[in-house]
Amino acid sequence: MSVVKRTIRIEEQGREASRATGAWLQRVKRLQSVFGLAVIITLASVLCVRNGENLFLNPVNLANVVRAVSENGIIAVGMTLVILVAGIDLSVGAILGLTATVAADLMMHKHFGTLGTVLAVLLIGALIGLLNGAVSTKLSIQSFIVTLASMSIARGIARFWSGGTGIPITYGNEPNLAPVSYSLLSERIAGIPVPAICFIGISIVFAALLRYTRFGRYVYAIGGNETASRLSGIRVTRVKIAVFTICGVLSAAAGLIHAAQLNQGSPNDGIGYELNAIAAVAIGGTSLSGGIGTIPGTVVGALILGVLDNMLGLLNVNNNLQMVFKGLIIIAAVVLQRKK
Amino acid sequence: MGQDAVLTLDGIRKSFGNVHALKGARLELRKGEVHALMGENGAGKSTLMNILQGAVGDYEGEVFLSGKKVDIRAPLDARRLGIAKIHQELQLVPELSVAENIFLGREPRTRLGTVDFKRMYRETQPYLEALELPVKETAKVGGLRLGEQQLVEVAKALSLHARILIMDEPTSALSESETRKLFQVIRRLSAEGVSIIYISHRMEEIFELSQRITVMRDGEYIATVNTREVTKDDLVQMRVGRAVSDLYPFRETSAGPVMLEVERLTFHPPAGSARKRLQDVSFAVREGEVLGIAGLMGAGRTEILECLFGMHPGHTSGVIKVKGTEVRIRSPLEAIRHKLSFVTEDRKGQGLVLGRPIGENMTLPLLRQLSRWLFLRFRDEENECRKQMESLKVKATSPATVAGTLSGGNQQKVVLARWLMMNPDVLLLDEPTRGIDVGAKAEIYQLIHRLAEQGKSIIMVSSELPELIGNCDRIVTVCEGRVTGEFMRAEATPEKLLSAATFRSEPACQS
Ligand SMILES: Nc1ncnc2c1ncn2[C@@H]1O[C@H](COP(=O)(O)OP(=O)(O)OP(=O)(O)O)[C@@H](O)[C@H]1O
Ligand SMILES: [Mg+2]
Repeated sequence: MSVVKRTIRIEEQGREASRATGAWLQRVKRLQSVFGLAVIITLASVLCVRNGENLFLNPVNLANVVRAVSENGIIAVGMTLVILVAGIDLSVGAILGLTATVAADLMMHKHFGTLGTVLAVLLIGALIGLLNGAVSTKLSIQSFIVTLASMSIARGIARFWSGGTGIPITYGNEPNLAPVSYSLLSERIAGIPVPAICFIGISIVFAALLRYTRFGRYVYAIGGNETASRLSGIRVTRVKIAVFTICGVLSAAAGLIHAAQLNQGSPNDGIGYELNAIAAVAIGGTSLSGGIGTIPGTVVGALILGVLDNMLGLLNVNNNLQMVFKGLIIIAAVVLQRKK
Repeated sequence: MGQDAVLTLDGIRKSFGNVHALKGARLELRKGEVHALMGENGAGKSTLMNILQGAVGDYEGEVFLSGKKVDIRAPLDARRLGIAKIHQELQLVPELSVAENIFLGREPRTRLGTVDFKRMYRETQPYLEALELPVKETAKVGGLRLGEQQLVEVAKALSLHARILIMDEPTSALSESETRKLFQVIRRLSAEGVSIIYISHRMEEIFELSQRITVMRDGEYIATVNTREVTKDDLVQMRVGRAVSDLYPFRETSAGPVMLEVERLTFHPPAGSARKRLQDVSFAVREGEVLGIAGLMGAGRTEILECLFGMHPGHTSGVIKVKGTEVRIRSPLEAIRHKLSFVTEDRKGQGLVLGRPIGENMTLPLLRQLSRWLFLRFRDEENECRKQMESLKVKATSPATVAGTLSGGNQQKVVLARWLMMNPDVLLLDEPTRGIDVGAKAEIYQLIHRLAEQGKSIIMVSSELPELIGNCDRIVTVCEGRVTGEFMRAEATPEKLLSAATFRSEPACQS
């Protein structure tokens, strides 16, 4: 751990300590990021009006927002766990690209059914995550470095696998077409996009995991003080490997959804997704030095980013300027998070 | 207000949420005096000093320096006014060297603007020499022992050439001889006109050093007295609000069967580690017995406990037997499974997850028992925690209180609570009363006594010889990683223990 990081952590814990005297204070804190989201939603619904028609609050648009948020959101949930144990995972975008490509290839060229594809792809995600965790803990290399390497490896494999081009997905019952049931991932159920349902489900499961289970406790304890955790009999290495594996699986799940959304699996997709996920986690109030943060926070963080993107798009802001705005908002959101 | 008061604090109030840490605290400091500040755990001593040092900006009340009203809102204000503080919880950067830590933020520069390391190292030396601290200026602080780190904090404070020096439990991790050296330095400083505020739970030190004493209780000012005019009992009465009798409970030694046996424990620390070697350490503890380990700092006392607890697998050899059967302990988890528990001396680094609630801190090793399948049983957990908090008198509103907000002594109690909760057979205690006030100390001694009566074995390391002699049935002395003597309670005296523990380079120690 770097000097700066260690000092920051000490400061943060001090600050955290003086702030969070009671559960109610915590609750106010959580409300704060919800407040940020409310501000941005209000902005969007006030600004995006054309010819008396509200473009943002239009149901179709809202569904689009949630759908767009889902991919990043699912990855960000995994990223939250990794960051809580004071790690980082840069390989998530590459895993998404690789798994989307593999999913398309398996269905179009290898006669895999939907279930087989889903399982195989999740397994690939798990494997990469497992390696990330195992290499960084067993060889004690910082996860930043390890996942930087696996990002390159996964991306390389994806391009090699497909010869560098995207594999289009067309549905049908013939052998060389993807099974129709896979397209469910881009459908809606009761008007809600399936990716959004997946995102909501995953968020609930992992929020509960952190809050109600032993595993969740261990995650927070390890992020807060690894030595103390080890001395308390926690199998630190195991928990960390599990966390990285979960992050890999969730990235693969995002890859499956991505392929269904675009009707293709492209090895060049998902570039920069790791940064979006980290941004969502940070906006959601999770401390990058570990031990502090929640899934609901991350969900709100992902929503803030998504609504922002959508709003700037509806306002026809220049693409490049959009990036500038996004950067500024990230800083503002994190600062807002901190202030009392 | 005395004429020669260099510093006066009056009507200081401070609340953290609904915790009123200070409710009108007062303190008057004269030039060149050593002024002791006393009070139970959580009385507000550290908070008051944090205010003085500028670490707590928003408080109510007035601060006068040499009769002039001043405003201290940030650490820099305090430094400018000539106030320096040695922290109770060490605030050093582990990855930096001793010299870099001492000069952190005000490093000497060369003409090119880069750090002038040569000058920095040169200027560090006198401080290390004054404290007779045998470490290199270039050594990484993280590799030093807790006691050595504490002296580096002292050196850092000295280097600020402050007019007012605050020492918050500076000796809690020091050995006898280091404490002596520190006292010499304190006396010299006070002769030079530096005023010192000295916080300690050790009565002897306060009587030896201080001219005046201010007592606090529950965030309030109780009294300021001349040290010569009071007795220990007066002070205890003032601090606790009641008398504490019988510091060390009497107990018949009841020798049960052997619980834990250690044969030829040898430990070769990995290269670059600051841990000390152990060579052929053998001893045994019986059920219901309290075994003390005495030795100077760096003798290997902590290492013995660490090796028993499986913290150095792969570097340790020797045989460990629990209840007669040989066991292999290759991790803390395995140690816990054999019902060993370990209260470490460094509660901040190795003990607590400061950002989490104390309840979570207490139940960490016990979660398997406290959950059904994967899910935590919150109600049982809370009940367990409340029970322990009550029995150890932890001063906190609920198990949900964040550990980092407790006073130093109460944090120590939380660590103790954790390891008692798992109902261990063998309790390894490394400086268990570090930073704990008399009242609580007596409680912890009672506790040790009770545990021994329940048939548990206790191995206790302490730098306070009276504490060892008062509590232990038997004491072994170690020196440079070897056992150099063994004394039954009846024959142990501080002099005998000290001479056995300082065999040092004499042949007896080598053989
Ligand atoms: N940052 C904080 N947030 C909330 N409560 C705090 C904080 N700092 C201190 N307190 C509370 O203020 C009270 C006084 O604490 P303080 O550390 O000043 O005690 P102390 O006299 O130094 O005790 P000890 O002898 O144990 O070190 C305690 O009840 C403590 O829990
Ligand atoms: Mg204190």
